Amino acid sequence: MTVDTPITPAPAGAGKPARPAPPSKVRKTVGMLLLAAVLLLAFTQVDARWERLPAFITEAPGYVALMTQGVLSNPVVDPNADYWLAAINAMIESIQMAWIGTLIGAAISFPLSFLAASNIAPAPVVFVTRQVLNIIRAIPELILAVAVMMPIFGFGPLAGAIALGVGSVGTLGKLSSEAIESVDTGPIEAVSASGARKMQVLRWAVVPQVLPEIVAFWLYRFEINIRAGAILGALGAGGIGSLLSALFNVRAWDRIGITLVTIIVITIIVDQISARVRSRIIFGDTKVRVMEPAEVH
Amino acid sequence: MIEFRDVSVTYPTGTKGLDGVSLTIPEGEFVVIVGLSGAGKSTLVRSINGLVPITGGSLQVGETDLSGIRRRSLRTLRSDIGMIFQGFNLVTRTSVMNNVLTGRLHSTSSLRSMLGWYSRADKEIAFDALERVGILEKAWVRASQLSGGQQQRVAIARALAQQPRVMLADEPVASLDPPTANAVMRDLQRINRELGITTVVNLHFLDLARRYGDRIIGMRAGKVVFDGTGAQADDAVFERIYGRSLTAEDVAAPGAPARAGTDAGAGTDAGAGADASTETGTGTRDGEPLDDAASTSPGSVQAAGTPRVASTPTDPAATP
Amino acid sequence: MTAPTQAHDGATGAITRAPRKPAPTAFTVIGLAAVLLITLWAGAGIDFTLAPLIHDLTRGEEVLRQFVPNWSFLGRDAVITASLTTLYMAIISSVIGCAVAMVVALLASKVSAPNAVVYQVAKAVMSAVRSLPDVAYGLLFVAFVGTGALGGMAALIMFNIGVAAKLTAESIDAVDPGPIEAVEAAGGNRIQRAFTAIIPQVAPNYFSYCFYVFELNLRASLVIGVVGGGGIGQTIMTELARFNYDNISAVIVLFIVVVFVLDRVSRAIRRRLT
Ligand SMILES: Nc1ncnc2c1ncn2[C@@H]1O[C@H](COP(=O)(O)OP(=O)(O)OP(=O)(O)O)[C@@H](O)[C@H]1O
Ligand SMILES: [Mg+2]
Repeated sequence: MTVDTPITPAPAGAGKPARPAPPSKVRKTVGMLLLAAVLLLAFTQVDARWERLPAFITEAPGYVALMTQGVLSNPVVDPNADYWLAAINAMIESIQMAWIGTLIGAAISFPLSFLAASNIAPAPVVFVTRQVLNIIRAIPELILAVAVMMPIFGFGPLAGAIALGVGSVGTLGKLSSEAIESVDTGPIEAVSASGARKMQVLRWAVVPQVLPEIVAFWLYRFEINIRAGAILGALGAGGIGSLLSALFNVRAWDRIGITLVTIIVITIIVDQISARVRSRIIFGDTKVRVMEPAEVH
Repeated sequence: MIEFRDVSVTYPTGTKGLDGVSLTIPEGEFVVIVGLSGAGKSTLVRSINGLVPITGGSLQVGETDLSGIRRRSLRTLRSDIGMIFQGFNLVTRTSVMNNVLTGRLHSTSSLRSMLGWYSRADKEIAFDALERVGILEKAWVRASQLSGGQQQRVAIARALAQQPRVMLADEPVASLDPPTANAVMRDLQRINRELGITTVVNLHFLDLARRYGDRIIGMRAGKVVFDGTGAQADDAVFERIYGRSLTAEDVAAPGAPARAGTDAGAGTDAGAGADASTETGTGTRDGEPLDDAASTSPGSVQAAGTPRVASTPTDPAATP
Repeated sequence: MTAPTQAHDGATGAITRAPRKPAPTAFTVIGLAAVLLITLWAGAGIDFTLAPLIHDLTRGEEVLRQFVPNWSFLGRDAVITASLTTLYMAIISSVIGCAVAMVVALLASKVSAPNAVVYQVAKAVMSAVRSLPDVAYGLLFVAFVGTGALGGMAALIMFNIGVAAKLTAESIDAVDPGPIEAVEAAGGNRIQRAFTAIIPQVAPNYFSYCFYVFELNLRASLVIGVVGGGGIGQTIMTELARFNYDNISAVIVLFIVVVFVLDRVSRAIRRRLT
């Protein structure tokens, strides 16, 4: 990157006013160099066995071909039909786990989000609640499942659902409290002015305004939880994760292909339905698209 | 030279934007286009640089024929035509200079523009353009930090940096207050005179049209209904263009009935409008029935007749 | 975001306009019924019960006793290396993933896609990439290249593309079309249009998404490590197999603290970006 000298001598122009000097590029350059240094460090220090990379290019196509074969082979003949059904059943179990998990997360996060909203709760409460939410956000579902749920519930879909639920509380609480904070103050003032108690103000001025948006967050989180549940499955909580890890253990590539395609198709269908419902809830119209909040994960 | 021969534009929705327009705009002329909202002014201006493809007739800009033009030659043509928009269309997050340099894209390789490496000569052209509109010292300021009038000057500089032969402006002053609007129009006029750039401007304001247009083209429902000099464009003509007689309400800004002293132009219009309203108001020149007057929303005529300054502090209703 | 205003418009409108409490709409009734049915079905499907919470709460105690953190474990070279590997993996994957995501997003937005076919294809690819969970990528790439950080990073990159491309494409959809039109009118080509009119507008959001993806990567790398993708997750898995719960809990506490801190830092940066 060349740092420009401020003025180029005007070619023919005697009477030209001085050209303003461009602002300093030092900060930008330093930033770029820093980023480059961090990247360089990461690339050289990471213990990645880069020599495997060519193998990836030579071997992966073979596996992909095997998977494709599985997907393309006649699905109604005997073993294949069972493979597809097993994948669909596992996916259904994942969806059930995610649904219950999301409901648990919604039920816990809903009251917390009011405590974390600065226009509703007193500052100390807001601070404490937010930190609790942040900590929950930092704990992966995986750890919740292994360390907290497993000892109590044993390992299975139930523990998975509860881990997903607790794990959702952090993000849902944060997003919901932000929605509550951005609420229009007009109705709050109007209801308060009529002598309502705090609870009544919440119920009649705040909840009606934020509920559509909060429900939309729940639906987003449901979509995420379907995916997040997969890792719990891999550890034995059932659902698609269990099936996948079992298949990868035996390298059953055709069945892996079938299962991945099933996941993609069912997930896209569920996402589409969820997106329609969200649009209907927020805009009253299924055609309008609702923009995703940046941080539902 | 720009030559429209029986040009029509039909939008994919079926709306006719232009309906058999024939016009010749010689080199170096300053043309102002007026007409009601939806008359097809924007469509006319945008067809000249191919932002709106024509669907019938033939349109010649310089040596280029626009019907069935290929992408590549369209880009070449566009590099010769500067355009100014009502909303300025600046990337407000970046510097004035970067915006003006957008005008040099046609002579910059894709790779260089990806990296933002413009040649020294291009930068000099950009500085020149900024100097010409009098905001050279703002070159490295973020565009978002400028006032509306300054932003429109940046947009003019961007168009100038293309070193165009034709300058198009689609309601360049509709978002500006009257003094600034006049200043921007003067800039455009000066550039037209000094550099001989053919200029086509859409205006909603009758007084500005009369003041700056060498030639005024009136449009209605996609057709040219008037084509003459500013002097010829009297109230009766405007009445024909707008399809109804102008009344005093038409030219008063909504909610600001007593906005005397805001600017002289509006005052003139109010007077003119009042005069016009005493005339017949049902003329049917060219056998064109004007009975759709009632269906024309008064709002659009208000917008056409007066600068939008309804809530300036001079508005007595707004001051306690 | 338009959602909040929209939502409250609807809500306040309903309050001020309705003289009596209106009957719930068919949508609401059907919706609530559906939620109830799905819940019953899902609850039955996973044998939902909270009974263990009452009966077996104490059962956890003896397990939890084994979880008393063994802090000295954190000082081991292997653990330090694994932690750093996780960090490096997160950095490398976010950078590569976000770079690819920008290209995919440019192709998958109506505003910037060169034509309808490319747009549809890019959108379909984006949905497919998004729909696979991080573990699936982890298992897949570990199977391709063997256990270790290489497969883990490949998995994280795919996961990042899924997240960042969608968010960025939505930002591009919402961009002010004015500057694009101006660049087009000035004779700019598609690449110039993207780099001078679109990217400068989405840049703050995009960089914010990149940091967000980095935050996600720290947590996702754990998941990926568990299935063999290297880093601290793999360490946890090894210790789990040896029933060294005290070591695991030390790693977990360290992990949560690090994620928490990096999360805060990344958030502070993101707030300054937008
Ligand atoms: N992109 C489009 N698609 C469909 N119809 C359009 C489009 N652009 C304009 N039209 C229609 O074409 C007609 C002419 O529109 P145009 O924008 O040229 O009017 P205008 O005179 O510039 O109006 P205004 O003063 O409001 O800018 C209108 O009926 C308009 O609705
Ligand atoms: Mg227009």
